[in-house]
Amino acid sequence: MEFVEKRLLERAKRGDREAFAELIEIYKDKIFQLAYRMVGNRQEAEDIAQETFLRVFANLHTYDENYKFSTWIYRIATNLCIDRGRKKRPDFSLDEQAEGTEGLDWYSRLSSNEQTPEERVVTQELQETVQKALNQLAPKYRSIMILRYIEDLSLQEISDVLKLPVSTIKTRIHRGREALRGRLNFM
Amino acid sequence: MECRQANLLIHEFLDGDLDELSNQQLQEHLRTCQACCQHLHELKRAIAFLQSASHIHVSADFTARVLAQLPSPSKANRVSNWLRQHPFLVAAAVFFFLMTGSLTASWFEQDETLQVSSAHLDKLKIDKERNVVVVPSGVTIDGDLVVRNGSVEVLGKVKGNVVAIEGKVFLASTAQVAGDTESIEAIFDWIWYELKNIGNDLLPLAP
Repeated sequence: MEFVEKRLLERAKRGDREAFAELIEIYKDKIFQLAYRMVGNRQEAEDIAQETFLRVFANLHTYDENYKFSTWIYRIATNLCIDRGRKKRPDFSLDEQAEGTEGLDWYSRLSSNEQTPEERVVTQELQETVQKALNQLAPKYRSIMILRYIEDLSLQEISDVLKLPVSTIKTRIHRGREALRGRLNFM
Repeated sequence: MECRQANLLIHEFLDGDLDELSNQQLQEHLRTCQACCQHLHELKRAIAFLQSASHIHVSADFTARVLAQLPSPSKANRVSNWLRQHPFLVAAAVFFFLMTGSLTASWFEQDETLQVSSAHLDKLKIDKERNVVVVPSGVTIDGDLVVRNGSVEVLGKVKGNVVAIEGKVFLASTAQVAGDTESIEAIFDWIWYELKNIGNDLLPLAP
């Protein structure tokens, strides 16, 4: 996998668009997932994912091959999500929730061929609950919880992505878990 | 063990870096403490909840849309990319450019007077009317003989190369030349000759 990725990166650096397209294919869902869980809104998450790939392309020549490519792209995406959140703090409320559910709706439509209607309702409720609980976390905890439990990164990888010591990541995961536990018990 | 300490161990347990001893202590505590047991259970449930968040997919035309937004590769961009990726070729090209520059310059700057370079100028005869440098018969010249703006006529011996620049080399039947004879009349010959010299200087061991 890493070898394939390296070859693709070398080609993309030389301006090969096909290679870059393949890199997008590998990472688009991961990045979109991260953005979606961060902002809770499908449209905005797609914008962020797009912006992430455009930045990756524009900065390919500065990419340091000693680091994993995934680390680098996760870092760009996380920073974009957090910047976005900062800018639109004031109108963070009802609208976003509504749009968020709309996004979920669309998702469940996509996967509806595998589920009975009741199952779909249950899944959707669960999805909404998870997203609500995440939205209530402060971004610095939210990003780490998503990277750890949805994107399945190790503590070391998260520390590389966020450029924070592993001990800090651990503390935040502990607090994030406690906070989520509180929210989910409450519901 | 106190519950506060147990709580720390619970989180280390969930991070998967609890050593054997601490693990035993924690299990011991959990057997006796209902509250901590419940706490761990709730944390596990919260994690499972989060992990159950189904993996959503980006819309199908995403890749195409990103590609459409990429800046079109401008010519300057492509050139600079190419240059960045082939530093050695760039260095070689610059070197070659400067070399040809100085070589052609030295070709055009030269004047028309006859110039001779040899270790034994006194043994040579110079025929000014014909613009020819003559190596008389019975004379031996050690080392190279280079004549510019004139021809060379060799009747005797030369233990080295004979080069005529903008002239010709005439060898009599009695002539003996240990090295090469060369007449250089055009600028390309001249550049080739200089490059060969550089090559010979750089590779003294080559035959």
